[in-house]
Amino acid sequence: MTAVAITGAGVLSAAGRAPAELAAALSGTATPECDPGEPGLGVPGFDTRAELGRKGTSFFDRRTALAVVACRAALEDAGIDLATADRKRVGIVLGTSAGSVKSSVEYAVETFTQDRPHMVNPGLFPTTVMNCAAGQAAIWFGLRGVNATLAGGPLALVSVLRYGANLLSTGQADVLLAGVVDELTPHAAWLARTTGLPASTQPGEGGAVFTLSAARREAAPDAEILGVALGFAPEFGDRPAALGRCVRRALASAATVGADRAGDVTTVSMRSTADERQDRAMWRAVCRAAEEAGARKPESLTTRRHAGDCGAATAALDLAALIGRHRASGDLDGRLTVLAAHSPEGAVGAAVVRGWSRGPDQG
Amino acid sequence: MTRVLITGLGPVSSIGIGAAAFESGLRAGHCGIRPIGSFDTTGFPRVLGGEVQVFDAGSILSRIEPEEWGRSSQFAAAAARLAARDAGLQWERIDPERVSVVIGTTSGEAKVTEMFAQQLVGGGFEGVDPDIARRLPADRLSSAVSAELDAHGESMTIATACSASNYALGYAYDLIVSGEADVVFSGGADSVCRWAHAGFLRLGAVAERTCSPFDRDRTGMVTAEGGSMLVLEKAELARARGAVPYAEFLGYASNCDATHMVMPNASSIADCISAAHETAGVKTGDVDYVCAHGTGTPANDVTEAQALYEAFGGDVPPVSSIKSMLGHTMGAASGFGAIASALAIARGFLPPTIGWSTPDPEMAWLDPIPNRHRQAPVRVAQNNGFAFGGNNAIVMLGAAS
Repeated sequence: MTAVAITGAGVLSAAGRAPAELAAALSGTATPECDPGEPGLGVPGFDTRAELGRKGTSFFDRRTALAVVACRAALEDAGIDLATADRKRVGIVLGTSAGSVKSSVEYAVETFTQDRPHMVNPGLFPTTVMNCAAGQAAIWFGLRGVNATLAGGPLALVSVLRYGANLLSTGQADVLLAGVVDELTPHAAWLARTTGLPASTQPGEGGAVFTLSAARREAAPDAEILGVALGFAPEFGDRPAALGRCVRRALASAATVGADRAGDVTTVSMRSTADERQDRAMWRAVCRAAEEAGARKPESLTTRRHAGDCGAATAALDLAALIGRHRASGDLDGRLTVLAAHSPEGAVGAAVVRGWSRGPDQG
Repeated sequence: MTRVLITGLGPVSSIGIGAAAFESGLRAGHCGIRPIGSFDTTGFPRVLGGEVQVFDAGSILSRIEPEEWGRSSQFAAAAARLAARDAGLQWERIDPERVSVVIGTTSGEAKVTEMFAQQLVGGGFEGVDPDIARRLPADRLSSAVSAELDAHGESMTIATACSASNYALGYAYDLIVSGEADVVFSGGADSVCRWAHAGFLRLGAVAERTCSPFDRDRTGMVTAEGGSMLVLEKAELARARGAVPYAEFLGYASNCDATHMVMPNASSIADCISAAHETAGVKTGDVDYVCAHGTGTPANDVTEAQALYEAFGGDVPPVSSIKSMLGHTMGAASGFGAIASALAIARGFLPPTIGWSTPDPEMAWLDPIPNRHRQAPVRVAQNNGFAFGGNNAIVMLGAAS
């Protein structure tokens, strides 16, 4: 693949609304507590109408509103003025696990509790489809380029990066708003707790949307995606090795694409699960592959202690935090991070990201 | 440039399971639309659906256990198994790391969502079977296919609603062209469910007695289900093993209306058609058949017709809607359209729009291939897919040279 530049990030989480805030939260020691009566760590004070007004938002569910606000923040952060952009060349790629589960389940609930089962709210019907957030964001910003929604679960972010890289390299878009955002609802919290959260992890909310474009030498990106590889291992025991192969492939791509300014892997982001043993095997496989490429004991980066587990969106928050760290310190320039992911069914994937501090010299 | 061939078809549909049965169904103009049986329709004023009532996943699947997976995943995996057999792939000569899976869907495991709701009503979250949490994620559709095929390449589920199969096919094509994969299984799957039926009913979109796309008196669509899968294969490898392709994948395009969540936009669709022609390297005069999105609702069909008229400069080839036979299979729909288009090219016939009787004065020029299939050579077929969210995607297939 060719390198993809990340030029901005829009962030929403319990641990902050900017890459810098997330990065600061990571270095702090405070662990947030849920408010009593709340199902987890929501985005504090997030209210659709307060954020976006009344017009055009009456049929937004929370996930859609969060996604639109994150897109707006990403555009602002990147300094992209849509008034001067060719909106047919600006696309959206959002990841999810199953869309807004609250929206679809509550819609179905109505059909069971009403005397006339079909008397559901027609205006809310689009909230039951997984591409609601991406479609509404396109309407909100008037973006007529490629508009895609990927159901990737734990692999949502790496899938979005992979799919986005393809759109850019095949010339299907010039700029993409790409990321993963998820809502906290009683339904989402139930799903998170039932599928198994690691000890002392709360369900969270939010995510991040990034502005992506084809990397150009003269530009000063926050970060570059230098390689993304995905795979599948049906057999449980084969999965660490399969994930390791993805990391190797992504690093091989990084070595080719980013050979002009090679760096070492210093950080790994991987969402842990309730299965500690499997997590350890996966971690070892990722580290072994990174060490073959010259890394020494990479650090684990996770926003989950501070922002909760945001399901499919957790990895997006990790990437946003990473960007915050790089912006804060030129000492980290050029270092590589592996974003690794695996699903309970056997999907595996990895992306290699190279971060930069922002500045005129970082071209 | 790398060329991509379609070498296998796997339809699991209400008019036929497997390529041969599906082709017979298309030629005969079979109708798979019946009163819905998979949920209690008491109280619903309209009750038609396109269910695959004879689906027995266990008789088709070789590796995965059907009971471990939701209905949509079963459709996807069964369709993939049929497509694999149809393609006659020599698995021992294929590197499983080079076999990828890209599946489109609208509602993922819609029946699991329905069960979640029913149990929630019955006893709150404490009353919901924990296994529902495991079965709900939509990425399980592509996982089921990868597991069934023992495919180790990329496995992706695209959830762009009712054009999702065309999105999936486009990405699958790119995976082969960019050298990431040699073989990609791609298509879509969805299941009939209570809540989507209710939603479309409330939008006033569901047909009363028959689904008659492009007819003046059409009353709407019906929700339907199934799995549609195609095998896309790198041409060089397909030729080397002596495969007989159905068609060549010429190109695709996608865009977004960005105007309304449920009302399609003719000029945006026309743009998408022109972009698809351009990437496929075809001119409007090369297209011999359009497999329409053709849901059968009054508004959608006239919008699609306007877009075709605009993009083709008034000279529109024959257009049919196989939704007249299948109903609207949601995320599987454009996959079925691609299968029908591939068969049209390979066998030289145009699938009909059944249930058609009266021309619509708003599109009197349109040839809907009424009621009976037509023998005709097809060099290039255009497969339309549109969706909620304004997600348009069009796939172009051509005769394999």
